[in-house]
Amino acid sequence: MFNKILIANRGEIALRIIRACHELGISTVAVYSEIDELSLHVRFADEAICIGPAASNMSYMNIPQIISAAEVTNADAIHPGYGFLAENSHFADVCEDHDIVFIGPSAEVMSQMGDKSVAKETMMKANVPVIPGSEGKVATADEARKIAGDIGLPVIIKAAAGGGGRGMRVVKEMEDLENYFAMARAESQSAFNSPDLYIEKFIEQPRHVEVQLLGDSYGEVVALGERECSIQRRHQKLIEESPSPAVDEALRAKMCDAAIRGAQEVGYESAGTIEFLLDADKNFYFMEMNTRIQVEHPVTEMVVGIDLIKEQVRIAAGEKVASWMKDFKLRGHSIECRINAEDPEHGFRPSPGDITSFHMPGGMGMRVDTHAYAGYTIPPTYDSMIGKIISHGRDRLEAIDRMQRALEETVIEGVKTTIPFQQQVLADERFISGNIDTKFLENFTFNPDGQ
Amino acid sequence: MKTQEIRELVKVVEQSEIDELEVSRWGHRIRITKNKNHVANNQPQQITIPAQHTQQTSPTSTSEQNAQPAEPKQEEPAGPEALPERENFEEVKSPIVGTFYRAPSPESDPFVEVGDTVTPGQTLCIVEAMKIMNEIECETSGVIKDILMENSQPVEYNQTLFLIEPK
Repeated sequence: MFNKILIANRGEIALRIIRACHELGISTVAVYSEIDELSLHVRFADEAICIGPAASNMSYMNIPQIISAAEVTNADAIHPGYGFLAENSHFADVCEDHDIVFIGPSAEVMSQMGDKSVAKETMMKANVPVIPGSEGKVATADEARKIAGDIGLPVIIKAAAGGGGRGMRVVKEMEDLENYFAMARAESQSAFNSPDLYIEKFIEQPRHVEVQLLGDSYGEVVALGERECSIQRRHQKLIEESPSPAVDEALRAKMCDAAIRGAQEVGYESAGTIEFLLDADKNFYFMEMNTRIQVEHPVTEMVVGIDLIKEQVRIAAGEKVASWMKDFKLRGHSIECRINAEDPEHGFRPSPGDITSFHMPGGMGMRVDTHAYAGYTIPPTYDSMIGKIISHGRDRLEAIDRMQRALEETVIEGVKTTIPFQQQVLADERFISGNIDTKFLENFTFNPDGQ
Repeated sequence: MKTQEIRELVKVVEQSEIDELEVSRWGHRIRITKNKNHVANNQPQQITIPAQHTQQTSPTSTSEQNAQPAEPKQEEPAGPEALPERENFEEVKSPIVGTFYRAPSPESDPFVEVGDTVTPGQTLCIVEAMKIMNEIECETSGVIKDILMENSQPVEYNQTLFLIEPK
């Protein structure tokens, strides 16, 4: 087991990792930028090293400084958390070169799954369903028509060189295909200077359902249930839950088996997540794999009864996944709200500053992961998430009730937070019915005067 | 720094002719001053301790604790206890995390000593990081007033290494 772990991160996840190490009897080293001097992760670690100025690229993503900090403190392993260097295969390589264990998958696996087309090919080899589409570019409308016929309508024509909605057309009727193809081509040429298009099956109102995986260094991979993360604003998750209200036992078994196959195909080690899109007919398609621990990992921990960070550390130290993980029952339902220092009344603009009052909820079925405290100054230089509130209940309704109770109890003054917004979502009939998808927030109106 | 150690240091200062004692370790610095001027000072004493950890993790000598000092004051250049002359000194800070060396090699003489006159571009020390010996160069003309780190001590970003009195 490791003697000392350096946490190459900040904020709530750094604190999370430090707590797990503390329970395992492992010494911790925190690294921090100048502006984070009074941060909680710095105070809770056994040792702390300042590694640079506020800018992330000069501190939390500054590989030489972090490696140097590990060397001068004699840390045997580095936990990268999420974001920053967590999915940087070069960083994983550098750790290996310096005999420091990187707590995560190997650099090769990371880069393999980081490349979207390589990842897709790999999943296909493992018989994991992927979004059907053209293999490469589609040159003519005739070709497009054939592919659309094979895949089945609706399809989406996309610009190979672009994104952000430009050079995209959804084809619902075959008679529109020729025109839309030409329009997409013209748009792509003018926006991205390339006429290249490809075609994919268009999944209407998909749900974002992801499977949590743990792999050890002996080839064993276990799936720890799924999470639903459809409540997203501009692709940023705001509310997550486990299990997904759309997934029954049979579907869960299929999705988990597929995810395990995919992970074993690349020889995945450590914690990772495979994201699927679930359509209205309960078909699921591989979207991408995240080769790191995720922000929303606590909801899985609550319903499975596991400490994922500890398991990451154990696996990195050479232990096997525990046999109970191959066969367990999910217990109850858990919901997480990401608390961001943002103003929902003004387009969610960031609200950094001094937290003057800070009171977190408690009581039955309540968990809070935060690095904030009364008197803390939220720096403007990093993401706006200041904490996560996680509820657990016997079923989804109880988890929702508990979360509503918790959000009412919570007091954060001095900065604006997303809490009023989340309270309204949780009170929404559609949300309560579980009938949600990734378009939910697009159709949701926040009422600034509402409660 | 353990509370007991701090108490003993305070005793040492109280019971001796020492006016001022500064001990630094791991970027945590403690400065104990015994000075008639400060007794007359009615300003509330600020104790700000950056980058501390608050729990007693294990009884090893490398673990650090949040001290509850009665008299010792944490040195902050902008604080009311800051010595007046110190504000005029240039601080040479480490731009990187690494190990501080005073000389180019174990057998050589140190680059500089207290009292030496230095000029811009002159190498003051080495900070070794990832097996690379980085030379830290002086940026002002002046005289070395103080060397704050010991040979082969680990240093962090912005750690003050030298105090130079500009000339």
